[in-house]
Amino acid sequence: MVWILAALPFQHALAQTDTTKRLKEVNIASSRAELLNSIAPAQQIKADAFVRYSAFNVADAIRGFSGVSIKDYGGVGGLKTVSVRGLGANHTAVLLDGIQINDAENGQIDLSKFNLNNVAEIALYNGQPSDISQPARSFASASVLAIKTIKPTLSAEKPYLISAGIKGGSFGLVNPYVQWQQRLNNHLSFIINGYTENADGKYRYTVYNGGKNIPQERIAADVKIQQIDGAVYWVGKDSSKFNLRVNYYHADRGLPGAVVLYVPTPHGQKLWNNDFFTQAGYEKNWKGGLRLLVNSKYANSYLHYFDPEWNNTAGFLDEHYRQQEFYGSASLSYIITKNWEISYASDLAINTLSANLNVFKYPTRTTVLNVLASNFKTGKFTLQGSVLNSNITETVVIGTTIPKRNVFSPTLMANYKLNEPVTLRAFYKNIFRAPTFSELYYTFITNTGLRPEFANQYDIGVTYNKNLPGAVEYFSLTADLYYNKVKDKIIYTLKIFPLSVQNIALVEGVGADLGLKTEAKLGSLYKGLLAINYSFQRAMNLTYPGDATYQNQLPYTPLHLANLNVGVNRQGWGLYYNQMFSSLRFYNNNNDTSDNDYYLPYYSLADLSAVYKGKYKLLPIMISAEINNLYGASYQVVRSYPMPGRSFRISFQITI
Amino acid sequence: MKQFKLKYLLITLSLASILTSCSKNDPDPTPPIPGDARAGIYILNQGNINQNNSTLTYFDYSTQTTTADKYMVANSTKLGDTGNDLGVYGAKMYIVVNNSNLVSITNAHTAKLTKQLTINQPRYVKFYKNYALVSSYSGTVSVVDTTSLTITKTINVGRNPEQMTVANGKLYVANSGGLDYPDYDKTVSVIDLNTLTETKKITVTVNPISITSDRYNNVYVLSMGNYGGDDKHPAVGSGITVINANTDEVRSQSNVSFGYGIPIIAQGDFVYYPTADNKIAMYNAKTQTLERANFITDGTVITSPFALAFDPINGAMFITDAKDYSSNGTIYAFNVAGQKQSSLTTGINPGSIAFVNK
Repeated sequence: MVWILAALPFQHALAQTDTTKRLKEVNIASSRAELLNSIAPAQQIKADAFVRYSAFNVADAIRGFSGVSIKDYGGVGGLKTVSVRGLGANHTAVLLDGIQINDAENGQIDLSKFNLNNVAEIALYNGQPSDISQPARSFASASVLAIKTIKPTLSAEKPYLISAGIKGGSFGLVNPYVQWQQRLNNHLSFIINGYTENADGKYRYTVYNGGKNIPQERIAADVKIQQIDGAVYWVGKDSSKFNLRVNYYHADRGLPGAVVLYVPTPHGQKLWNNDFFTQAGYEKNWKGGLRLLVNSKYANSYLHYFDPEWNNTAGFLDEHYRQQEFYGSASLSYIITKNWEISYASDLAINTLSANLNVFKYPTRTTVLNVLASNFKTGKFTLQGSVLNSNITETVVIGTTIPKRNVFSPTLMANYKLNEPVTLRAFYKNIFRAPTFSELYYTFITNTGLRPEFANQYDIGVTYNKNLPGAVEYFSLTADLYYNKVKDKIIYTLKIFPLSVQNIALVEGVGADLGLKTEAKLGSLYKGLLAINYSFQRAMNLTYPGDATYQNQLPYTPLHLANLNVGVNRQGWGLYYNQMFSSLRFYNNNNDTSDNDYYLPYYSLADLSAVYKGKYKLLPIMISAEINNLYGASYQVVRSYPMPGRSFRISFQITI
Repeated sequence: MKQFKLKYLLITLSLASILTSCSKNDPDPTPPIPGDARAGIYILNQGNINQNNSTLTYFDYSTQTTTADKYMVANSTKLGDTGNDLGVYGAKMYIVVNNSNLVSITNAHTAKLTKQLTINQPRYVKFYKNYALVSSYSGTVSVVDTTSLTITKTINVGRNPEQMTVANGKLYVANSGGLDYPDYDKTVSVIDLNTLTETKKITVTVNPISITSDRYNNVYVLSMGNYGGDDKHPAVGSGITVINANTDEVRSQSNVSFGYGIPIIAQGDFVYYPTADNKIAMYNAKTQTLERANFITDGTVITSPFALAFDPINGAMFITDAKDYSSNGTIYAFNVAGQKQSSLTTGINPGSIAFVNK
């Protein structure tokens, strides 16, 4: 892939911004039925629906998606990661405008980091997106969470748009933000976003201790975050596009840690993040159906962890980590005939990690991805196939490293339109995730014998999607059955003192995802909205045949997850109610329900929100109020991390 | 699920004792004390760190029943986070709860709490005369008066002390320095148990954790090595150091690979510890040579050996298996010939065993 390097001098970086859908089957369906009509299962939420889910960050916004379980350590600054269909957070790629947000150290993206102020829409694709004109990384994970930012769409008459707002409420939250969109000329526009977020993060919870519930308060969980983000968009005369984005995020957080019985509420641990990235994209379409996308990114992420109470010689822990990523991608697609498109994409990523730890290995990983993909449509039948080649080479300053890997990963997705509203679909995807730097090199628990973790996914499903002329405007129903198998699952274990990482687990899962969405006119003034999602996940631990754990449900994987969202709109007013349910979860490999402390009980959460969109002296304003955990449920998503009870939030926004 | 069939166990064990007592190395020359009888066996399960799921499994020999968490039943409160060591001394039981900074002292029969002592990151407990000696990760050994149940003295030792053993009237403390990777401690503190002062530090293989002593006044120290590998910290592997408790000098040092947890016990003429391939090495204390690569002779496989205890009254060797370290473990009873007699399900990470008499 030397030519890519040559073609991609770093500062000359170019790339794609908007994955324009060209083939008919990947078009977003009717504006009325907001359903992503993709080959494989896909779900989407747009900015105006965030309030329906009382969402503050990306993790909140996708709560209503089927097959998604969110691991939440609680509070404003608490880590939130997403696991799709029980495969674990490392198997979901998070894309920002088509370019992956990668964490080579931990392999998991904290979705609480993404404030929604600048998000236009979020989509989740099982398998991979249907659009094959994408960077190779879009093909390289078991599922893709694609976040799209707001892009300026301004006219010469009003060449600017400035929105300013503030959100505040429980946990001492104060979150002012501003967004400035500006059109400079026919070809050039920019957008700048900035926000600060401050919260003391305090909340009350109860700790269970043998039949007694002891009230405690979460302290030292304060959050101070600033983010500034800017992007320039250029459109050429030939409709080629270029964009360049720069983003800086600073967070200063208190880490309350796990609640441990008999010791004072944890306090004093701190975490600082300084994350910088810049990414650029260039896109050009030629008349003959040829399209080029070039993307690049540089990311520099610094993490500082401090624990003031540690029984070492220093008396504290003070760890600094810095990871860098250099990324370039080129993708060429070509429409051979009206119903056949092929593409080839090649990505190069170089990831490094340094830390102030003794005997640190200073790893550098070079990943080269090449993917060949095809979208073929004939009559009622659509077929997508792709083969991804992944080539991973790693070097370390001291010690040994993983052997060079060269892996081929196939995907096959099919779609058949049975009759007008009914479509059948199926997909198979074989993919792996490489061991992360943490798993390989975290101080002395080095295990460079780790193999990649392979996931095989099979899915069959049906969609029913109909726009109706009567009071009910549309009705859409999706149902999918799936089977997953994860081989060589990477697990932290105590096998070698005091902690090591090994490829020891084998996991199989069967599941079902169901979704229903409809909107209906209620009289002449009101409109009713309804969305119901249900997921069944039976994820089995098959690591030790014959052992008591054989076929046990995996930790943190609820058998049943359900979400109900109802709402009423009336000319600028909206009132919404969201109810989610999670069945019990286990927090270790036992499936023991003989004592209610041996598992995490089921929980049910309700959120209520209201929004008003109107005008103040001709200026558009938006006011919203949200109550989260309406009935004050006491629950834990992660063991020893009690979640907050009832909380509220209000927001106000004005646009000039 | 599985229960101890005590009757059969005793029969087979006594048979096995008769059969093996002819061998040249007597596993235990002390005859069972007449009238002494075990009421039951306690297994302290660590649970997982930060999960507050430490439990105390109890098996009652007369009723043949298992209580999954006797502490919880007796006190209606949880043990806390990461119960690391357990000891029965007289009528009392001492439970060392590492991450909850507690030593919980209970009635040995009922597990009913008598007193809780707060000690920073306590690790292990040993007894001598009227003292309970508790090592703490803060670099100390606390002396608890077993009558008043108060801490009467705190002795400074090396960094992050782990296990202790009593030999020749002295307490030997393994100073691991385990939180100072890769500049671990490599000493064993010698504490005079009459004056309760540290008299000496003996240099052993780096990162000592486990320690025991035999009847010949040999102190065995298992060290984990330094996991090093760069120029500043060249790698030192794991190994055993044998100290002569009469002279307090190192008798021998050798390299051995251990598994996790590395319990070590001495019983009669033998010293037992798990090796990296999950076998229970049997070392001859008299000849200072390896007696058998695996104590277990009937092919029983222990996935993750986690605790060892020998009951001289019943002549039984108990070995726990922590399996995947994230689900309930198993305790096995073996006869002295290394044949499995019975087994029982424990809690998660069964790391410590104690016997209680009737």
